[in-house]
Amino acid sequence: MKYALYTGCVAKGAGKELYTATFLVAEKLGIELVEMTDAACCGAGVIHEGNPFLADVVNARTFASAEEQGLDIMTICGTCQGVLVKTLKKLTSDDAYKKKVNAELAEIKKEFKGTVKVKGLTEIILQDYGLDKLKEKVVNPLKGVKSAPFYGCYTLRPSENSYLENPDNPDELEKLIKALGAEPVDYPERLACCGFPILMMNKKNSLTMGGNAINGAKNAGADCLVTPCPLCFLSFDSYQFEMEKYTSGNFGLPVLHTPQLIGLALGIDSKHMRMNTHITTVESLLEKTTS
Amino acid sequence: MIKHDIVIIGAGLAGMRAALEACENHDVAIVTKIYPTRSHSGAAQGGVAAALANLAEDDSPDFHMFDTVKGSDFLGDQDAIEIMVNDAPHVIREMEHFGCVFSRDEKGRIAQRAFGGHSKPRSCYAADRTGHALLHSLYEQILKVSKKLTIYSEYYLRDLVINDFTCNGAIIQDIKTGKIEVLNSKAVLMATGGYGRAFQITSNAFACSGDGLIAAMNNGVPLMDMEFVQFHPTGLYGQGILVSEAARGEGGYLVNGKGERFMETYASKMMELAPRDIVSRSEQTEINEGRGIDGKDFVHLDMRHLGREKILEKLPQVRQLGIDFIGVDMIDAPIPIQPTAHYSMGGIPCDVHGQVIRDKDSSPVRGLFAAGECACVSVHGANRLGTNSLLEAVVFGKRAGASLNEFALNTNRVEISDENHALERTNKLTKELREMNGKESINVVRNEMKNSMTNDCGVYRNPEKMGRCLNKIKDLQKRFKDCSLGDKGSLFNTDFFEAIELKNMLDFSEIILVGAIERKESRGGHARTDYEKRDDVNWLKHTLATKSADGEIKLDYKPVSITKHQPEERKY
Amino acid sequence: MKTVVVTIDRFDQENQRGSYQQDFTIEIPNGLTVLDCLNKIKWEQDHTLTYRMSCRSAICGSCAFRINGKSKLGCKTQADDVITNGKLRIGPIGNTDIIKDLVVDLEPFWYKLKKVKPWLFANKPKDTTKEFYQSSEGYHKIEDASTCILCACCISECNSLKVDKNYVGPAALAKAQRFIDDSRDKNFVQRTREISEPTKVWDCTHCGECSERCPTDAKPLSRIEEIRERVVNAGVHNNGGARHLLSFFKSVGSSGTLDERKIPIESVGIGNLHANLGEIMPVGLKMLSHGKAPSMIHHNVDKVGEVRKIFKKLNKL
Repeated sequence: MKYALYTGCVAKGAGKELYTATFLVAEKLGIELVEMTDAACCGAGVIHEGNPFLADVVNARTFASAEEQGLDIMTICGTCQGVLVKTLKKLTSDDAYKKKVNAELAEIKKEFKGTVKVKGLTEIILQDYGLDKLKEKVVNPLKGVKSAPFYGCYTLRPSENSYLENPDNPDELEKLIKALGAEPVDYPERLACCGFPILMMNKKNSLTMGGNAINGAKNAGADCLVTPCPLCFLSFDSYQFEMEKYTSGNFGLPVLHTPQLIGLALGIDSKHMRMNTHITTVESLLEKTTS
Repeated sequence: MIKHDIVIIGAGLAGMRAALEACENHDVAIVTKIYPTRSHSGAAQGGVAAALANLAEDDSPDFHMFDTVKGSDFLGDQDAIEIMVNDAPHVIREMEHFGCVFSRDEKGRIAQRAFGGHSKPRSCYAADRTGHALLHSLYEQILKVSKKLTIYSEYYLRDLVINDFTCNGAIIQDIKTGKIEVLNSKAVLMATGGYGRAFQITSNAFACSGDGLIAAMNNGVPLMDMEFVQFHPTGLYGQGILVSEAARGEGGYLVNGKGERFMETYASKMMELAPRDIVSRSEQTEINEGRGIDGKDFVHLDMRHLGREKILEKLPQVRQLGIDFIGVDMIDAPIPIQPTAHYSMGGIPCDVHGQVIRDKDSSPVRGLFAAGECACVSVHGANRLGTNSLLEAVVFGKRAGASLNEFALNTNRVEISDENHALERTNKLTKELREMNGKESINVVRNEMKNSMTNDCGVYRNPEKMGRCLNKIKDLQKRFKDCSLGDKGSLFNTDFFEAIELKNMLDFSEIILVGAIERKESRGGHARTDYEKRDDVNWLKHTLATKSADGEIKLDYKPVSITKHQPEERKY
Repeated sequence: MKTVVVTIDRFDQENQRGSYQQDFTIEIPNGLTVLDCLNKIKWEQDHTLTYRMSCRSAICGSCAFRINGKSKLGCKTQADDVITNGKLRIGPIGNTDIIKDLVVDLEPFWYKLKKVKPWLFANKPKDTTKEFYQSSEGYHKIEDASTCILCACCISECNSLKVDKNYVGPAALAKAQRFIDDSRDKNFVQRTREISEPTKVWDCTHCGECSERCPTDAKPLSRIEEIRERVVNAGVHNNGGARHLLSFFKSVGSSGTLDERKIPIESVGIGNLHANLGEIMPVGLKMLSHGKAPSMIHHNVDKVGEVRKIFKKLNKL
């Protein structure tokens, strides 16, 4: 298995631990990754809101790049995944539009052919790699670890773009958590929004959303929250200490990127996955996973 | 007691258009038992007629008039029709100026399409949700002037206050709380919609229960031409949910069980675009003679030859209805359809100003006005042409609004001196309903009424069936009193209001039948197997039905206004 | 015929029962809608069951319910599509106060709709001898929004509304787009300013629930995205949302990637930085102390010239 890795901005910036964990996990699983060092930001839906055509051309450039390498794209960010799939669908379902976009790419001597696929890390593990095979690699089953899956909006909606079988009531992350030996926790906010998109515009609303999710998971007995989207991660990890200002309840919940939870089960040292750099301490979780 | 200058009952196209016209100078109240945008005007799909001549440059109001007169089987009042067709281009452009989202032609003008019974393509449309587009535009205009208006949403009309043929108020009930209010006004406009809900197979909303008609009738106002009910040729099989005539306007075929376009037999020139009464009868004949699909009681509407693109552009909503309700995508397969009770030609008699009249001499009920489907002006006569209903609602809604304005400027409000008297009928019925504790079920009575009306008072009528049906309705009226009310509460008691609606439906069903049995001819929507021909010698006249104090229905007749076009044979 | 257990989330304030769940067992043939199921229960088993309905053909917008937890129109939803293991759950839509059973208080919904001034300010004098011309393209810009039936399905699961009752919500914003993009409207400039105010277009968190639940083509999130495009291109930049967007453009357009050091600062606004330093400082400091601060030098992606070229040609901001 070999993919062109589309890291997204966060994994190279405020979320380097995701970048690190991804490579460590991929190595353990025998998935070969070729980092797309020339790939530009997907726009996170924001560029799209200012200029949809520009956003589509930039993403088509990314697709063309992967096509040149002859590889499908692996994303490690729920938001990148949602944005890229949306663009890919638009380009492949409308020939005239594809031509218009390719006319722009021609100026940088690129062409989007429409052969590339875009898949998320979790999706690849679930669908292509297989949970049975993953289970075989688990050396440190996360027994007794109650893990709250947080899907993230871009993984769920629009449902027509989602890889999940039933985006209104999915169980894919739960299956993954179980395969790692941990126990999935059900809570009301598991399909909600983390609030990150409006963090810069309306901190109160944003952190209230985030705080509700943390509380919900915590009240359901979670030892940690795990998410395939590093923007959700940023909201929950970096801003958790501020959420208390907006919502009352229980805080101090460790937050993990999906590959970090997988990594723990595969026996990768938490420090190697830079979990010691999390703003919200993961000590309470590590006590459980190493005991 | 709450005071307003003008009270408008109903917030569909006619009601809101009137309110907009009248609220400039007066304190206007709009009462609706649902919310304005939920009104059934919004369910009209295919278009609104106006001789804009955007598509057919030689179209004119004169052609529109003749088509309408002919479509009405010459029962339409020609003075009123002439006003409607002449006003049409102006009121439609005015709606466009209000912001209505119309589909456009290549020159950026309002797009037009062909429609049944119209000799020119004059249906102005917004894809296949024209009523919705018009309704929402008017609601937006109402919001714009909302400081001048009071909207009573989810208030139910219980009664009118009419003494000596002068109306000075209405009794309404807050559905949310059950509280009954007396509204005292200079004038009341009835804009309460049609009466198709008494039928099992119907395109009508649950709300179309004829409440306004019965409130008027209980106050001595006659009902006109109630026997004329339009059966729309393309109701989705099973329930009767509307598939727009625009489907045929855009080129759809009607096909029988033998795979034939059977309209060839009945209207070789206009084919599927003959008026609705004719197409529905043709379908029913095919079905009755065993040529339905697989011999069953439906035929096919075939749209496949139009192609995906045209269907998605012009008919997106009806395509979706087919997918959602019977699991058929018209792009890939023909849709099973059957005639469905659709439009009420009859209603509260009024003149071209919306002034309600009470007898064949057109004596007015002072202060009472009517517009839209509940009114009978009559511009539709025995059969309405598609796209003329939205037009009537806007034209006569506006005209009624102007009349209300004029009336209220020149009239002082008459106080309701005896509130208890005004509330007498309402309180009595309320008490009776709340104490109902019999063995009969409202649901059973309602179902029996609907089945009986569809089976015995439908597309084809004969004396045996109608007589049987009338006996049934009278029996059901008695059994209604022996029903029980399951919800005894006060708050949002829909059980209570459904009971009143059933009572209203039973009452107007009786009038439909009495008028239909008496009218010994076939004309427009009223087709009898024992009198197959139109009879202009004896029946070129409107029916006026009144209910006497002892509950007996009395019929009288009013001449038809014939100004330009003498009756002739209807061929399409 | 099949047997279905319908669980209904009920509410009865009149008899002090409050919120409760009730199971009804019904036998239904194929082809019934969820609304048909409710009618069957009300008319045959429990007359006190209360809900709104009218057209039963998905155009009046009365019968929005939560069906298995998500808002849908009862009349448009085939029971067979939502029954699982013989079970179906129906409740009132969310983000509203319940009046009785499935009937919710829609007054805030209507009130908020009015806040976006949803009526045309005609930009030509009225002359009923002709209509305004509008190109087919102009019509298509407002067509989707015009299909909205105001059923309120979209507000039910809205994440922003859940934490902020003052947010105008997706239906009102979809309606706003319909007028902002109407070629006949003369108030474009004023509309773009007003829609950029707090509680409106920039308070949407892009969760996508509104479009997911919308039973028509109105798809509010797409309309919200269109409004954002219009307002930033119209130069309405004096708010966090627009500044955040511009900062994105600047960063991606120059380096191909996000400069996480600058986004928070530029979003708050250089002019407002002093006053709002307290908003962004705490997390910045935490990140520094945890070794998570972005590197001092912001790196460009490889072949950044290509990205810059695309931006140079297509970016209008």
